[in-house]
Amino acid sequence: MIKRMIEVGYPAPRFDAKAKVTGEEKFAIDYSREGMLWAGARRAGVAHAIIRKIDISKAAALPGVYAVLTRKDVPGTNRQGIVHKDQPVLAGSRVRHCGDAVALVLAEDRDVLEKALGLIAVELEPLAGVFDPEEAMRSEAPLVHESGNLLHKAVIRVGDARGAFEECDVVVEDSLEVSAQEPAFLETQNGLAWQEPDGRITMIVSTQAPFRDRFEIAHALGLDVEAIRIVSPCLGGGFGGKDGATVQCLLALAALRARGRPVKMRWGREESFTAGYKRHPVRMRYRVGAMRDGTLHAVSCRLIYDTGPYAHLGVEVMALGMEHACGPYRVPNTLVEGWCVYTNNPISGAMRGFGVCQASFGIETMMDQLASKLGLSPLDIRLKNGLRRGDTNGAGVTLVHSTGIVACLEGLGVHRLWKDRAKWKSEAGPQKKRGVGIAAVSNAMGYGRGLPDSAIARVELTKEGKIRIYSGVPDMGQGNSSGFIQIAGQTLGQDDSHLEIIQPDTDLAHPSGSSSAGRTTYTYGNALIPACEDMKEKLLHRASLLLMLDQPCGLVLLPGKVKHLPSGREVPFELLGRMFSQTDRIAVKHFVMPVAQDNPDSAKEFRLGFPHVLFSYAAHLVYVEVDELTGKIDVKDYLALTDGGRVINPACFDQQVHGAVAQGLGYGLMEKVLTERGKILNPNFTNYIIPTSMDVPDITSVCVETVESTGPFGMKGIGEVGTNAPLPAVAAAVEDAIGRRLRRSPLTAASVLGALSGRGAAR
Amino acid sequence: MKISFTLNGKQTGVDVSADRKVVEVLREELMLTGTKEGCGAGECGACTILVDGRARLSCLMTAAQIEGRSITTIEGLSQNGGGMHPVQEAFIENGAVQCGFCTPGMVLSAVDLLDKNSDPTREQIREGLSGNLCRCSGYVKIVDAVEAAALQIRREKAR
Amino acid sequence: MREVILPGSLEELWRLLSDRPQARVYAGGTDLLVRMYKGLLDPEALICLDRIEELKGVGEQDGCVRIGSCATYGRLVEEPLVRCLPALRKAIGQIGSPLVRNMGTIGGNICTASPAGDTLPPLYAMEAEVELLSREGSRRAPIREFITGPGATCLKRAEILSAVWVKKPQEYNVHHFEKVGLRNALACSVVTMAALLRLGPGGMVEKAAFAWGSVAPTVFSCPEAQEALSGKPLSAASLSRAADLVRNVVRPISDVRADADYRRAVAGNLLLRLLDVAYERKG
Repeated sequence: MIKRMIEVGYPAPRFDAKAKVTGEEKFAIDYSREGMLWAGARRAGVAHAIIRKIDISKAAALPGVYAVLTRKDVPGTNRQGIVHKDQPVLAGSRVRHCGDAVALVLAEDRDVLEKALGLIAVELEPLAGVFDPEEAMRSEAPLVHESGNLLHKAVIRVGDARGAFEECDVVVEDSLEVSAQEPAFLETQNGLAWQEPDGRITMIVSTQAPFRDRFEIAHALGLDVEAIRIVSPCLGGGFGGKDGATVQCLLALAALRARGRPVKMRWGREESFTAGYKRHPVRMRYRVGAMRDGTLHAVSCRLIYDTGPYAHLGVEVMALGMEHACGPYRVPNTLVEGWCVYTNNPISGAMRGFGVCQASFGIETMMDQLASKLGLSPLDIRLKNGLRRGDTNGAGVTLVHSTGIVACLEGLGVHRLWKDRAKWKSEAGPQKKRGVGIAAVSNAMGYGRGLPDSAIARVELTKEGKIRIYSGVPDMGQGNSSGFIQIAGQTLGQDDSHLEIIQPDTDLAHPSGSSSAGRTTYTYGNALIPACEDMKEKLLHRASLLLMLDQPCGLVLLPGKVKHLPSGREVPFELLGRMFSQTDRIAVKHFVMPVAQDNPDSAKEFRLGFPHVLFSYAAHLVYVEVDELTGKIDVKDYLALTDGGRVINPACFDQQVHGAVAQGLGYGLMEKVLTERGKILNPNFTNYIIPTSMDVPDITSVCVETVESTGPFGMKGIGEVGTNAPLPAVAAAVEDAIGRRLRRSPLTAASVLGALSGRGAAR
Repeated sequence: MKISFTLNGKQTGVDVSADRKVVEVLREELMLTGTKEGCGAGECGACTILVDGRARLSCLMTAAQIEGRSITTIEGLSQNGGGMHPVQEAFIENGAVQCGFCTPGMVLSAVDLLDKNSDPTREQIREGLSGNLCRCSGYVKIVDAVEAAALQIRREKAR
Repeated sequence: MREVILPGSLEELWRLLSDRPQARVYAGGTDLLVRMYKGLLDPEALICLDRIEELKGVGEQDGCVRIGSCATYGRLVEEPLVRCLPALRKAIGQIGSPLVRNMGTIGGNICTASPAGDTLPPLYAMEAEVELLSREGSRRAPIREFITGPGATCLKRAEILSAVWVKKPQEYNVHHFEKVGLRNALACSVVTMAALLRLGPGGMVEKAAFAWGSVAPTVFSCPEAQEALSGKPLSAASLSRAADLVRNVVRPISDVRADADYRRAVAGNLLLRLLDVAYERKG
């Protein structure tokens, strides 16, 4: 095996790449055990109803059925949820969306399982449902929860927006709407669990939050948190949709019943759509005012988030969306109002971009309208208002950390794709119209105030002399564990052959939060560096004892060994590994992300998740070609400039940018969860379409390096920021091409053709 | 039903229902979990295998159909001659791997593509991989990798 | 569990079909197995035609190309004889993905008889005939008579579709096919159009044949539009009039992929592409 240089800043191949290209990497779905049962949930299938009766007798009598469980078999509160505990594990009296689980079957094989699920007779008394968030807020609306349909209302207020509009030279107003987006990870929600002889539950599960899962399961099922062990192998994608319990509570319930037999639960693709968490659909009403020279003066907006029947992270998603509702701009007067509303639609929750995707479409659309009204270029108006360090953002937070949006925009302005745009547009073929659009976005990192964003890193010198990292945060594909290897390699002067990483196991690693919020590498990495430094000091000190040195001086760490440079003598790690006592071979350090120190006097409604102080930034540019006969939009070229602080691995950095852009293009152009009375009409990859290799162009990723002095080696998380720009950039490009602005995502061919016919061109 | 076929170069027999999906036979009977299942309906390509050298969807084949055929799964790709296939090497070197769930299918589709066309354009590569969905990468580095692999394979042949 | 039988010859097939009248016949499996594994179909037994070499050949006879029903799309795209059928070849090259094309067959596409079957519009426009084979013998039928409705054909019990015959469209000098899907690969058709034109001197339309997919229960033809163009020079104005005719008579439905209005508009609009297609042909 070639030993790899893995210093920070070098585009080293990911350490997990080899196992993944050879098929050796084991995802949760790949685990099985002798004597395994299969568990499956019977879903309600209707959006709102009272459960009259669940007759399990036929299913339970089917040969090969091990058990059939309903609400009465659930110990504990039967309530799951990350912050708000409002979701039943098994619905007993009410159904609030089509994906509610009403019974759980354990069977010897999957054929029997499928048959048994079909044999459960569920007697439902349908209730009028509510499927529109604005209707849900009316007093006469059917109630999703007895406490009312308004989950949360909040206001962010800076300055005096109402008065400030009077002072503006121009004011633009518009309404926009974005639909739900499915995370569409390729590995559906799944896990394998069993009860140990001592009563503890072990679960191997595809999850973004192993430590938090224990609390969700414990609360729902009345168990002791310590009685649950979660093991989280590499995920086949997560994107937010595996942040929070999916199979976890059902699977733990099944394991409790299975008397030591392992139980596997795997949601099929349709179930993944029906019961999984989606990006929130949002309705937005914006009003933006500026002075004649383009200086932003006031922004007001009303955002309505449809969270479906359960909160999941709805309030927190809305909080982050509202915090970003004024874009990466200096706005002295803002009034951002948000409503997070229960409906009987599918559950909305965390997804990459976490509320910011939606608001970015809003504010960026308004910026373009302002630019066109003022006769400014879309780039100039953004440059003029772009936040700089020391400014106060639209949520009233003083930016005291790296702030690179202006640098991103400047980079865009000198790029060939910006400069050549007029020529490219003029070369459109027959029946084609070309346009170019840009967008500027930001995305906060971390949990925000009220919930410490903390990680505890643990490294170990193994008996074999390897440095082992116990990761506390899952790798859902973003490559954080490769980043950890690189950080440890840099700190300890090691190549990859002397480093190894253990994916999260709550019995081995320390609580380090979730893999989410652009915080994974930042927070854990910041704990890992001091842990490695501690380990380094140990290694040098213990080696000096072996070498009988009076002082540990002149010693350095080299790959696999400690060397005393003055004498040339070496101590291999293998020797140190054998010498270290069990308690000594470990180094553990923690880190907590800084939070905003300002005290904005609004948005007190948010107990946690507001505000943030660390942001990544990006400026995107897109070339699109519109076919006048079909309305089809083809994305022809793409440029993304990203400020993510210093880059630990340029290849992984580009991977994140490319992937975020592709997901954003899917969101902008084709992805839409279609529902009718809360039932998903396209719960499959045939009709819920995501981009193929033919739909995404080559993407130029440019790294705009700032230094984030609080970040590990100066880095910031960039996993999310790139998803926020494609929709507004494409919408701007389409407007540039056809002279019409589309206000509803996704921007389908049908909507383009409709806009074109409105103009009186081709039908 | 007893089915015998060549699996990754070795004569193999299994006793399964004739209508069982091939992807399940591989994953659950033969414990070759490198082949993934993402949709079960031929829409994602995660279950791609090579049947007599051609890429096919193992979620849309019955077990009976592989009788007497030669099947290559991702586990068998690197066995031929010991080292990794140039496509695998290129995926590693070019950053074409993220979560890795689409990777086995993507690699095998690329192998089939390069077998038919040793010098594809980027557009032809995109076309050739268009049945394999990837949610992580935006495909850019995957296309880079297949381009690099093609070059490597041509070089090896020229030697 | 149900049997899956793979006969190696037609002889064996006839025996199986008479022994197991309830068995479902399939070739590539890209449609039938999707439905079966979803639980929408529960056939007693399956007969797979994959091993019958006699059904896979492509040949030429009497100015016609005879395409074996079990030839995969992937094979057909590579097949030199199919180059004589450019509109069909273009349609085949855009079906699903390379993986689907390595498995799916032209006979399967015809027998599935979906309004969105991509090979159907070019086959209709070229007035293809299907060859139907049973133990008793073979018969031929025009494809537009063979397909009787969405998912319905007049295939008889114990009979299979053995080949499709397409007369080489030498009388045409413009061969066009366009597929409108919601993305650039792995897409179900929202509207497709096959168009064949013979253009004479001065761009005079001497003959025209059009067929649309996904805009009606079966492939849609519009003789009015063909007539409106014939005998006149090809122009934006003449195409526009023909497009209006198409929009007036076509009766598409709305579904999860597109609404009827969009399909109607696009069915007409696709004709407007022909001017560019024709001029490009003339260089």
